[in-house]
Amino acid sequence: MLNTDKIRADFNILTQKDGKTPIYFDSACMSLKPNKVVEAMNDYYFNYPACAGRSSHKLGDKVTKKVKETRQLIAKFINANNENEIIFTRNTTEGINLLANSLGLRKGDIVLISNKEHNSNLIPWLLLRDKIGIAVKIIPANKDDSFNLNNFSELINGVKLVSIVHTSNLDGVTNPAKEIIEIAHKNNALVFLDAAQGIPHKKIDVQDLNVDFLAFSGHKMFGPTGTGVFYGKYKLLEKLEPFIVGGDTVEFSTYEDYKFLPIPEKFEAGLQDYAGIIGLGEAVKYLSQFDFNDIAEHELKLNAYITTELQKIPQIKIIGPEDAKDRTGIINFYIDGADMHKFAIMLDEMANISIRSGQHCVHSWFNSKKIFNSARVSLFLYNTMEEAETFITNLNKIIKIL
Amino acid sequence: MPCILALIIFGILGIFSASHRALAKEAFSCVFRRITFRPCNTGFQEKIKGKILSKLIARSTFLAKMVNKHYEILSWIFFILMIGSAIWVIRGGYNFYVYGSCNGLNASGFCAFDPSGENNKVTPLGDGSSCGITQKTEKTVTLNNIDLSSFPTQDIKSKDTVVFIGCYACDYSRKAYPDIQKLIKNKEANYVFAHYPAKGDTTFLADIGYCVYKDYQDKYWDFNNYLFTADKNFVLNKLNANKILESFNFDVKKINECANSAKTKKAVENQVKELNKTNIYGTPTIFINDKAFVGPKPYRVYRSAINKFIFF
Repeated sequence: MLNTDKIRADFNILTQKDGKTPIYFDSACMSLKPNKVVEAMNDYYFNYPACAGRSSHKLGDKVTKKVKETRQLIAKFINANNENEIIFTRNTTEGINLLANSLGLRKGDIVLISNKEHNSNLIPWLLLRDKIGIAVKIIPANKDDSFNLNNFSELINGVKLVSIVHTSNLDGVTNPAKEIIEIAHKNNALVFLDAAQGIPHKKIDVQDLNVDFLAFSGHKMFGPTGTGVFYGKYKLLEKLEPFIVGGDTVEFSTYEDYKFLPIPEKFEAGLQDYAGIIGLGEAVKYLSQFDFNDIAEHELKLNAYITTELQKIPQIKIIGPEDAKDRTGIINFYIDGADMHKFAIMLDEMANISIRSGQHCVHSWFNSKKIFNSARVSLFLYNTMEEAETFITNLNKIIKIL
Repeated sequence: MPCILALIIFGILGIFSASHRALAKEAFSCVFRRITFRPCNTGFQEKIKGKILSKLIARSTFLAKMVNKHYEILSWIFFILMIGSAIWVIRGGYNFYVYGSCNGLNASGFCAFDPSGENNKVTPLGDGSSCGITQKTEKTVTLNNIDLSSFPTQDIKSKDTVVFIGCYACDYSRKAYPDIQKLIKNKEANYVFAHYPAKGDTTFLADIGYCVYKDYQDKYWDFNNYLFTADKNFVLNKLNANKILESFNFDVKKINECANSAKTKKAVENQVKELNKTNIYGTPTIFINDKAFVGPKPYRVYRSAINKFIFF
């Protein structure tokens, strides 16, 4: 069981004494940062702000060592086969674009995606469709928008890549990744998992899943903004062409020729965000101290309370399954005809409650359902039942004036 | 509609505050989309509405509910009120520029640009009290059917004519005097001067002035200039009259005989009677091409009258 008081003490923003501590319910967009993460980044900038991998002085060595440590930590965190399968990116979006532009897709190749993909896992494929003529197919979902394995099985034949979200930022539903991967592999399709939303809340074991590629962002898992990870099975990574090339990606070059460095360097062009990578390592260490079952239990308790209270308000419709246990830490709701931005602004003004409103970068889903927008509460291990109660109290006040 | 309202309000506030400037930009984006027949997708309207409602809800749920329900109508009402008040402010600004008062020509109501009413203060006629303390009811002051032929005149055959009715003893006349001199010089206007003994015993100066103009027309304007610009206490003291005349090399005896003659007294009396026909209620009163300006206006007001900036 989580000790939220102790956890909250690790976050500067949650220990404000001026009564302005936010009730932060927007962790699906961006998690708060533990002090240790910020301190680790400051330590880099204050004490050894050098380059990794290319300078032979002591400061450079220290950065190289720290970056390597982070790579090892992440490899261990997702149980990668070896640390070289970990490629640092700026975020999940960059990871997906790396894959889309490196996989060597050709005209007629089929990419299969779900009906509630983030724009980051939709637009790169649509762009390739327009540029080189790949086919992008959408897997029809169940009535409650959960993943339909039968529909998937019917469409999988001849598919080159299944690119699918692990846990949806729209409704918090986690797709049956293991089954999807099994079916895909039986049909010779590769599988990419967008784990941006899943990795902070669920244990992801890439070997157990047998996933081919996976990407996630640092900023949703206590890490700094502008950090992300792209994972790929080593043998598959060897076949990928680099997406961005230049400094630090080649072993040597002449005016006529060049030779790429081995993986992962050949995918990490240019000077990296060392402070961010070091901060990400600290974030992984921080997250690793918790049992994911405890995190899930904590989020479910709060989600169940909020869900129950929202279900008492007839105008409110929750996106996704009714049962909180199917939606991890996300409660996304809307009211027909209402602009949910207003709710978010009012909650912020009234009680310092930060929730996200809009279409959450899943415009395609909203447009297909003809829903204008929604308000999303996303929970994490630092949220408390008191905060959930304050949210419900204030939401009820707003409902009264509608 | 709330977008337009917000654009105007935040646009004005944005002149002074960077945070409001950002809101003004958002409002502009929203307005631009609306006038190009696209929906406002910036969430700006809801943002403003949300901020307003969250303040209201803390005080009264009922009030918040009403505002939420009638937000568009309320926005229209405020928009119309704002446009109305904006027009009023612009009108006030125009009036202040061309008349020296927000409320129009010689109007004495409160004017934010001239809060102490300096531009409308006059020396009231008839009560002999000190300068500029009281204001009388405005009347229609006019030069129609007024015979100005007996008053000192500089006729340079200009199309513009300035008639200055002032009192040597009145601070407000003395304040306006230099501007009027500047005006007639710069704008090459015909000029008529009339002394109206509004305050204290200044009739003796009217008598002397009448005689000086009669006998020394070429030096009269320097003499008159002296009476308005020299130390007031010295000028208004009867005992100093001869010294002043001497300083201009006038024939003091001749001027005194003229000033004390019954003929002169009658002529000056007739002049005052003629001035009273203008419905004058205080000094200075300045006619510029028949338009009356009561009180010491800023120079730009007189200049505007000659330049025909006055449209209403």
